[in-house]
Amino acid sequence: MLRTDEILSTIQMLHAEHLDVRTVTMGVNIQDCASADVEAMCRKLRHKLTSRASRLVETCDRVGGKYGLKVTNKRLAISPVAHLLSGHDLNAAVAVAKTLDQAAAEVRVDLIGGFSALVHKGISSGDKVVIDALPAVLSQTQRLCASVNAASRRAGINMDAVRLLGEQIKAIAEATADRQGFGAAKLVVFANIPEDNPFMAGAYLGDGEPEVVINVGVSGPGVVSSALKRRLELEPNLTLGELAEEIKLTAFRVTRAGELIGREVATELGIPFGIVDLSLAPTPEIGDSVGEILQLLGLDAIGAPGSTAAVALLNDAVKKGGAFASSSVGGLSGAFIPVSEDAALADAATRGHLTLEKLEAMTSVCSVGLDMIAIPGDTPAETIAAIMADELAIGVINNKTTAVRLIPVPGKKAGDRVDFGGLFGSAPVMPVRNPGASSRFVRFGGRIPAPIQSLSN
Amino acid sequence: MKTVDNRFKHAYVLNVMADDRPGIVASVTKAISRLEGNIDACSQTVLHGYFTLIMVVSFPRQLDTEDLLREVAGPPDKHSNFRVQLMPFHLPKASKEKYDSFVITAFGPDREGIVLRFSRVLADKGINIVDLFGDRTGEQFVLIGQLQVPKRWDIAMLQADLEQIGRESGYTVRLQHEDVFVATNQLRLPSQHKSLPVT
Repeated sequence: MLRTDEILSTIQMLHAEHLDVRTVTMGVNIQDCASADVEAMCRKLRHKLTSRASRLVETCDRVGGKYGLKVTNKRLAISPVAHLLSGHDLNAAVAVAKTLDQAAAEVRVDLIGGFSALVHKGISSGDKVVIDALPAVLSQTQRLCASVNAASRRAGINMDAVRLLGEQIKAIAEATADRQGFGAAKLVVFANIPEDNPFMAGAYLGDGEPEVVINVGVSGPGVVSSALKRRLELEPNLTLGELAEEIKLTAFRVTRAGELIGREVATELGIPFGIVDLSLAPTPEIGDSVGEILQLLGLDAIGAPGSTAAVALLNDAVKKGGAFASSSVGGLSGAFIPVSEDAALADAATRGHLTLEKLEAMTSVCSVGLDMIAIPGDTPAETIAAIMADELAIGVINNKTTAVRLIPVPGKKAGDRVDFGGLFGSAPVMPVRNPGASSRFVRFGGRIPAPIQSLSN
Repeated sequence: MKTVDNRFKHAYVLNVMADDRPGIVASVTKAISRLEGNIDACSQTVLHGYFTLIMVVSFPRQLDTEDLLREVAGPPDKHSNFRVQLMPFHLPKASKEKYDSFVITAFGPDREGIVLRFSRVLADKGINIVDLFGDRTGEQFVLIGQLQVPKRWDIAMLQADLEQIGRESGYTVRLQHEDVFVATNQLRLPSQHKSLPVT
């Protein structure tokens, strides 16, 4: 029999503190859709996705309803489109992208990820088509998300790809200038891309994954901050160790909720369950913010000295709670710090407390990277590439995933405001220091070699 | 539901209600022990200073229930309330209907007839209440029931019905499968959802 206090605390977590299953993401391998004929390829893709995912949304809604736990987003993640596009041209890439976009709309998922290329060591012909097509694709589709892995622990950093991507990010933003460069928010550039990540925009289905799989992303910054607030009201003199313990406990409970939903959805659809990704993914809503957790941990200004240490504590406690809750934890599993999507972080950026450089430092100890950051539209492509190179280097050297999602907003300068709407939130355009001063470095190109694995200081 | 495994042939259900104080369980079990009885199952709770105990006890020989009651109740005590009830125990017939375990929670302003309103709906639908908790704090009332909901009911419809009844009385009502509470509070994940082999 359940205890009353157990029931009440779960009710509190589910209904007063914004705990939701942020996404149930169905991974689908699309390699069997390859064809020399573009029309046939698009037909196969549409058929495969609409038949595999036809019951995804209704099943998530029904299972979520049974437990009183909302599945906020249902999404698709496919194996990298680059594998299909070898030997094809840009028009084929756009046709495939539009087909994916329509298939996603047909099965009522809000996003589909996997317009992706893995180029950490070199760029194949299919990868090149994907990268070249990004401005056209991301400006002409609504639901499609793209990702490129440009660096890895074992390969180092492909600086040729990084340079190319710097140019493409600007081109994407220009192609979606009417939406404040929003197309760039649908591209993530990774080091050590996870193969089972359910969160967008970086979700794709990696090699070694099943034909079809259910991965779940659970969030809950609101649950963590409420738990901390409650504890601190009762015992204001807690130590950081005790606060970490509270975060860990909360992470355990949140992960469990996600695994429960994920497994039942997978069982009902008759496909394997993959992983639950416990990430503190904020939304612009008040009370659903990672920044607020940092404030509770004693930082009056987010970005002040101590911010990196606080994020490290938070990220590690989240991982420990998640790992104990489930043997199927995967994906990114940590704390996200997407600036525009987190009201407290956006506010700190507006006040000038939080800078690009401090964000970079914080990402060395948390998921996932420089995320949802608006920068001046006239930032040189080489400088964007260099920012990416810095972030990817953190991932490669520290053997972790890092990523970059920058939006060079056309026509805007530092201090202006952009509003992307909905979950993407709003933020100030952050200043980029020393623009143009990295051009010579980036133009060298080639590959930054893979790091030594010993002598680890 | 697990059925009771009686140790001896002659089984009774024993119910004790009393002002709560230390020693009630000791005195009740001492009486049972004296009559060579065995406790097959028991559950006890204390609510706002009142003690209640329900037990299934069995004995090797037929007892005079009056004797047993006298033995358990002991000499009359003017200073504290102590009531004992006893009836023969029969294994309940197992219902053929399959059910799922759900939890209903209702929060709202305390007023007359709230528990009646919800329990009547549940009764009409053949939903059994296996545990009930209610508490009034200030003007607010919270009601939590653990339920056995026959599988024939459409959960979404049932939820909508209960929520509607709640709204009419200013109550927030939720009906949720118990596994969400198990998963988020207990160390083991509910095991009924086996994952499929990886293909």
